[in-house]
Amino acid sequence: MLEWANIIAIVMMTLSLLMNMWRMAAGPRTLDRVVALDTMYINAIALIILFEIYLDSVLYFEAALLIAMMGFVGTVALSKYFLRGDIIE
Amino acid sequence: MTMLLIVLLPFLAIGPVWFAARFSRNASFYVAATTTGLGLGLLASLVPEVMAGNVFVDSWPWIERIGLNIAFRMDGLAMLFCILILGIGLMVVIYAKFYLTEDDPIGPFYAMLMTFMGAMLGVVTSENLLLLAMFWELTSISSFLLIGYWRHLPAARQGARLALMITGSGGLFLLAGVLLLQEITGSLELSVVLASGPQILDHDLYWAALICVLMGAFTKSAQFPFHFWLPNAMTAPTPVSAYLHSATMVKAGVFLLARLHPAMSGSPEWFFLVTGAGLTTLAFAAYVALFKHDLKGLLAYSTISHLGIITACLGMSTKWATIAAVFHIMNHAAFKASLFMSAGIVDHECGTRDARLLSGLRHSMPITFGLATLGALAMGGAPFFNGFLSKEMFFKEAYTLSQAHPYWPDAEYWAWIFPVVATVGGLFSVAYSVRFIHDVFFGPEAHDLPKHPHDPPFGMWLPVAILVAVCVVVGVVPMYTAESFLYATASPVTGYDMPEALHLHWWHGLVPELYMTLVAIAAGIGVYTQWKKIAAIGDKLPTIVGKDFFESFIEMLIEGARALDRLVDNQSLQRYMAYTISFATLAGFMAYIEEGWQSGTGVQTPASLVSLVPVILLIAGAFMTDFFQRKRLVSLIFMSVVGLIVSLMFIYFSAPDLGLTQISVEVVTVLLLLLALFVLPQWNPVESGWLRRSRDILVAASAGIGVGALAWGVMTRQQQTIADYYLAESLPKGGGTNVVNVILVDFRGFDTMGEVSVLALASVGIIVMLTGKKPLYPNQVMPFPEERFPLMLTSVTRVLVPTALLVAFYIFMRGHNLPGGGFIAGLVAVVALAMQFVASGLDWTKGRFKLDLVRLSAIGVLLAVGTGLAAFVWGRPFLTSGMLHLHPPGIGEVHIASAMAFDTGVFLVVVGSLVLIIRRLSRYQQTMEVQDKAGGNE
Amino acid sequence: MAFWLEIVVSFFLVAGAAFALIGSWGLVKLDDFYMRLHGPTKATTLGLGGILLASALYFNFNPDVAGVSIHEVLITIFLFITAPVSAHMMAKTALQKHFDYVGGQQDPLNHPRNVHTIQEHDLSGMDESQIPDGDEEE
Repeated sequence: MLEWANIIAIVMMTLSLLMNMWRMAAGPRTLDRVVALDTMYINAIALIILFEIYLDSVLYFEAALLIAMMGFVGTVALSKYFLRGDIIE
Repeated sequence: MTMLLIVLLPFLAIGPVWFAARFSRNASFYVAATTTGLGLGLLASLVPEVMAGNVFVDSWPWIERIGLNIAFRMDGLAMLFCILILGIGLMVVIYAKFYLTEDDPIGPFYAMLMTFMGAMLGVVTSENLLLLAMFWELTSISSFLLIGYWRHLPAARQGARLALMITGSGGLFLLAGVLLLQEITGSLELSVVLASGPQILDHDLYWAALICVLMGAFTKSAQFPFHFWLPNAMTAPTPVSAYLHSATMVKAGVFLLARLHPAMSGSPEWFFLVTGAGLTTLAFAAYVALFKHDLKGLLAYSTISHLGIITACLGMSTKWATIAAVFHIMNHAAFKASLFMSAGIVDHECGTRDARLLSGLRHSMPITFGLATLGALAMGGAPFFNGFLSKEMFFKEAYTLSQAHPYWPDAEYWAWIFPVVATVGGLFSVAYSVRFIHDVFFGPEAHDLPKHPHDPPFGMWLPVAILVAVCVVVGVVPMYTAESFLYATASPVTGYDMPEALHLHWWHGLVPELYMTLVAIAAGIGVYTQWKKIAAIGDKLPTIVGKDFFESFIEMLIEGARALDRLVDNQSLQRYMAYTISFATLAGFMAYIEEGWQSGTGVQTPASLVSLVPVILLIAGAFMTDFFQRKRLVSLIFMSVVGLIVSLMFIYFSAPDLGLTQISVEVVTVLLLLLALFVLPQWNPVESGWLRRSRDILVAASAGIGVGALAWGVMTRQQQTIADYYLAESLPKGGGTNVVNVILVDFRGFDTMGEVSVLALASVGIIVMLTGKKPLYPNQVMPFPEERFPLMLTSVTRVLVPTALLVAFYIFMRGHNLPGGGFIAGLVAVVALAMQFVASGLDWTKGRFKLDLVRLSAIGVLLAVGTGLAAFVWGRPFLTSGMLHLHPPGIGEVHIASAMAFDTGVFLVVVGSLVLIIRRLSRYQQTMEVQDKAGGNE
Repeated sequence: MAFWLEIVVSFFLVAGAAFALIGSWGLVKLDDFYMRLHGPTKATTLGLGGILLASALYFNFNPDVAGVSIHEVLITIFLFITAPVSAHMMAKTALQKHFDYVGGQQDPLNHPRNVHTIQEHDLSGMDESQIPDGDEEE
């Protein structure tokens, strides 16, 4: 049963990714695209975790952690770019 | 072993001499003098054996594959030159201490002098010809540094450059000549080459080898037509001129001729080329020397002329001519060095070197007057001086050659040219020697000199006195002092084919050479008395100034290169990329057409629908990066997506290290690009019409298809990859279970070491490039004063940054066995620090993060290289790694691989360089930030 | 694997994924930037928390897989701290740039209800020492 749940979860996350991509392509303003990017980072983390459960391996947690950290930094940098233009003052 | 020490000692002294200058000038002087003295002492221990006729050869293997060994030979010729280098070197070291003023930095001077000394010693004692070429180049470089010692004088810089260009090209020719000799004789060792004389002469390549070697020798010894760099090198300080450009470096060329004399002489080509060049130089330079007003210029041309004598003697190749050459090498070094130093004394005390302004100094500088006169008498070849003896031998040989000329059987009517030219040279030699003394020291006392002339301190005239004493002693009693010495030193040059005994007397009877000498002296004095009239005539003739000719030649070359460049290069990056990619694609497709492209027969794993979605996203992301390329920021965001998906795919294919690296690099890229984008236009203008865009799409599409087909073909073919080896050997040989990391820092560690050095250099380069520059298109920073550092962000980063740094450390420590490693850890640390910069600003963070980042990267590179070098301590090749097995109490067994140190180096370099780049780029923007009335900006 | 554990883990997996899906759906469907911001930042983060919880349960209580891993907890904490902050930054940016929003074609900064609490400082007449500086924290 776990396997089925895993697969369903993976399918749902994939759909989420596709929807994020749509928003990124379509967002009227650039900030919409930034939100979509941030969400894509989070969905990617979820996908990695699900993949780990599927494979029964603990090797990829650092990757997930790193994506979380990097995603945050990327989003903040982009927002600050919009806010002030000069991201490091 | 002793010989290695003699050569190595000056090199080892470079650091101490420079460092000692921090304490006092005297400290530096003592170190330099002690080193030279030690060298002389070591040499003295070898002298008795060499005088008895023994030859020492010491050899250590170095790079066997190209035949390069560290090999030294001490025979008579080498001993002579070592005495010259070390003895006159000591004199110059003493002289320089008193000559250089307080403003001249003495540490670098002595350091460069030591470099030169060591290099010159290497040239004369080298047994391996390739080693000789290496030391030869080193002398060119150190001479360049010494000539340009007074960097603030443009004449000095030009002179140094000219010298380097000419002697450097000569060095290239020498290298070619050495390699040709290796081709002919099969070895680079002198013992073999010197024994294969007949074989060399018969070979087809003899002509080419001869030309190359002669080019090397003539450029270094300033023979016509390569002489014009030497007068321009007189912008060097006088100690340098006395040492390099009279006694040692310019003698390197004739040393080479003397050294290879047994191997390459004896042929008509040698005779005509060498003797011809020598005689031409002799006459020409002596003539020009007479009319030079600068004392050092006069002495420079005189040096060229005397080198011409030595060259001509070596060209004549008879036993006695060769002995005369070696004798003149000794004598010339002694009196010329002393004369240069005297000229330096005059310059130092009077403030000018111009002979037209100087006169009547014999009253105010009696000691200098005495010493200079003695030196000049030796230079002119007056009896009872050493110059007389060697010149007599030269004249005798020239006369003998006119009677019996082996290479030119039917030349009775032409052969008289040799003694005539020799006499003319001697004539002018007398003339300028007399001028040197008469113009400067005799006549009415000059009153409008820049300084008040008086005798110099003891330390300045002592070296001159010692050298002059040698000249006089050898001149008066040569049979007791010089005979055995000359016998020992000239033996190697003649190939040990010496007459039974040398009888050096100064009276041989009424022989032709005596008449030549008398004619030369008389006519010389006569010419001198009329020289002003001759000079007036000479002024009316057009002059060819060698240096100007050379400079205009170089200008022409540069202009031609620029024209070619303008033709091909229009600075358009798009054009280059289009050319590169289309040609590469075309070449690839040619292969497909010729061989046919087939899909391989490997097993293909079916792709699940779920794994197709990231692929679709990847394609969509890449497509939209291009689609939105005019809005640069949007393009950047889509690039992030592409990076993220690629990272996901790495993880899908079980490559966690790659995934980690990819995502870190992605975000660092975004940060850097955002920093850059701030000062660039936010929109790409429409640059090209439909036609060109279609062409670009075509090129890109075909390249993509070609590469895709290539990738498909490779992946569908089963093959033995290198992965099996690494997977098997990673733990036993590399000490870690993370194969990727072990490959990076152990198996392919050399590569990584190169890359971190490049990264460190790039960061320094970026800093230098941005120094003092301002952005062209500044964006105004939006003026919302309270939003500069949003509170939420700042508070959260207080907690997050240390955590992120801890994660970086954790990833670093576990890198060898689990996914991670120095590079990823470095990137994470960089992102954490960048986060801090973004949240709290540069100044706040800099106040708390006080590391010198350039030093940090430098330490990182040193660690990486040091780990490799440490393997030498255990006698292993570079970058062999070892394992430490520690048993700290309480923790149990700990295995640390030495690659950990290497990884630390990588980590430090990454952190240092990238944070440096980020900081520098953000500082760059701040130069144009607009001041707004809220005062929120700086 | 124990049956009850399997049920719990599966539940969290599916629930978490469902939340994430709903969040992304909201990102697509909603009309206005501020509305769109809710979906990802709240729902997706919660969904991810659920998935991470499932993973924590799976890897720690599963007798077949060795070791204890607290990575998930770390990721969860990290995410719960940073997701609001990034949302805050984006909302702030939108505010400052006067994004239009559904329901009022007015700039929220100038809405009469907000005028007293959010003010743009008119600093032209003020003394230098009274102007708030951005980095006063330490």
